[in-house]
Amino acid sequence: MAAGERRASLALARRAAGPVLWLAGLFVPVLLGGSWVSIMAIFAIYAVVALSQDIVLGRAGMYDMGHAVPFGVGAYVTAILNTTFHWPILATWPVAIVVAAVIGAALAAPIVKLRGDYLLVATIGFNIIFVLAMGNDVLGLTGGPDGIFGVGVPHVLGRALSSQGALFYLDWLVLALVLLMMRNLERSRVGRVFRYLKEDELAATTLGVDARYYKILAFAIGAGLAGAAGTLFAVQLASVSPGSFVFTESVTLFAIVLVGGQASIPGVLLGTALMFVVPQVFRGLAQYRYFVFGIAMVLVMVLRPQGIWPRGRGRP
Amino acid sequence: MSGTALLELEDVGISFGGLRAVDGLSFHVDEGQIVGLIGPNGAGKTTVFNMVTGVYRPTDGRIRFQGRDITGRSPHVVARQGVMRTFQTIRLFAGMSVLENVLAGQHLRTRQLWWQGLLATPGQRREEAELLARTHATLERLGLSDVAGEIATSLPYGVQRRVELARTLVADPSLLILDEPAAGLNDRESAALNDTIREIRDSGVTVLLVEHDMNVVMNVTDSIVVINFGRKIAEGTPSVIQNDPAVIEAYLGQDDDEDDEAAGGLEA
Repeated sequence: MAAGERRASLALARRAAGPVLWLAGLFVPVLLGGSWVSIMAIFAIYAVVALSQDIVLGRAGMYDMGHAVPFGVGAYVTAILNTTFHWPILATWPVAIVVAAVIGAALAAPIVKLRGDYLLVATIGFNIIFVLAMGNDVLGLTGGPDGIFGVGVPHVLGRALSSQGALFYLDWLVLALVLLMMRNLERSRVGRVFRYLKEDELAATTLGVDARYYKILAFAIGAGLAGAAGTLFAVQLASVSPGSFVFTESVTLFAIVLVGGQASIPGVLLGTALMFVVPQVFRGLAQYRYFVFGIAMVLVMVLRPQGIWPRGRGRP
Repeated sequence: MSGTALLELEDVGISFGGLRAVDGLSFHVDEGQIVGLIGPNGAGKTTVFNMVTGVYRPTDGRIRFQGRDITGRSPHVVARQGVMRTFQTIRLFAGMSVLENVLAGQHLRTRQLWWQGLLATPGQRREEAELLARTHATLERLGLSDVAGEIATSLPYGVQRRVELARTLVADPSLLILDEPAAGLNDRESAALNDTIREIRDSGVTVLLVEHDMNVVMNVTDSIVVINFGRKIAEGTPSVIQNDPAVIEAYLGQDDDEDDEAAGGLEA
């Protein structure tokens, strides 16, 4: 009985841990303030991107090493519509999501039949093309190597979210929504099908799964969420430039999922924190960020190939 | 209902490079029957299954299911017609629970759309509850309730076979294709399998199976198709097949001294 109660309270603690941590995050602007507000805002944005990478990589099992592309598409769509066409930021948001998702699906369509490493190389190619295109001022809209400056802030109910604190709350709210969606994904057909395809595509297809459709869908959903984060990113930096979406950014996102734990929400959040928050704490050592993360990647892959915080077992 | 052909193969053949794996094969599976496909190792049995389920595209011939031409259709399209299969080498989803594995069998009857899943709409949650209830009922039926929460691939071989079977049964197939369901089972498990297969037939599912265990083949099938080197060499009821000289020869060679033993072996 005591053991049962302990197990029940442990399960409760695990369920409550996420919401409690999220609520605690709400006090960051009040209690910590200063640079911590923007650090946590960046964390929230990259957590959304990493979770969206996890849909494609950790769940559907496709080696997408070009995930900075949809993230960048979302950021550029918002920046262009806002600075050149003077759309309000919030109006650019759905466009950023849809354009990123459509581009994600269109790029995925010809390559989803590729396996593992071949798909990975193809996605690297897309990333290089994207950065080159943005850097070359496509259609005179993307601003060349320096990118686009002067992206505005969102207005909610007539009030400008101009302070770092206000933007943080927006990012934090979006993170919560995306986390809810990721949780829902676990309990839905689409989320399960992604994992069936990762584990055994042939078995899944003989059960009636249209592998091609679901693989493209995984890319589209992942890209749409990354695009949503792109809007927040453009607003956070008030600018966009090709340098934020280069191949190494994709590698970082890829590594966050592998090191944190594939298809594990806490794992991916932990990976994001290790990559984007911890280096800020040790400011003097920030230049060693990739060095430390590189070593961590090697160690995790050798010692704990399922990631630091692997996925728990399936629901009973 | 027996008498109508549910599955028909007409002159089906496939070549892999220079190898003619199956050649001019015709047979049919009548509704409500249990049909066995047997033959020595390498005879092309699994290849036939792979062609029927769309994993391989036949180079010649026609395959019809319920009168509809399904030749060369993709596996997921064939599955949609109500054809479900198991694999000789068990193919469960690793790292997923028995429950999640068996839920996969309900993919085709699930109606929820992807965005309803992301947003967990009330209708989607209601459907999930129904899927879970039906999955639990199937687990119960196959005696798997106790292991519902276990990682499927961590279970003993015989249990994994039942999980794979549960995954196909929960889909309510019209035709169930079993590729060596008794492989790796002990005597007690294979006897239980005989009962299970009959129960499946009695519940209205037609069964086509490949099996080496003659104990299973001779006891449960209504008719048997024997192939060797990709060609049909005999067809008939178990008792006819047991005494067919061509079959005995295919299994045991032509040595006269061994004929008696061969017949004995097939009867076992």
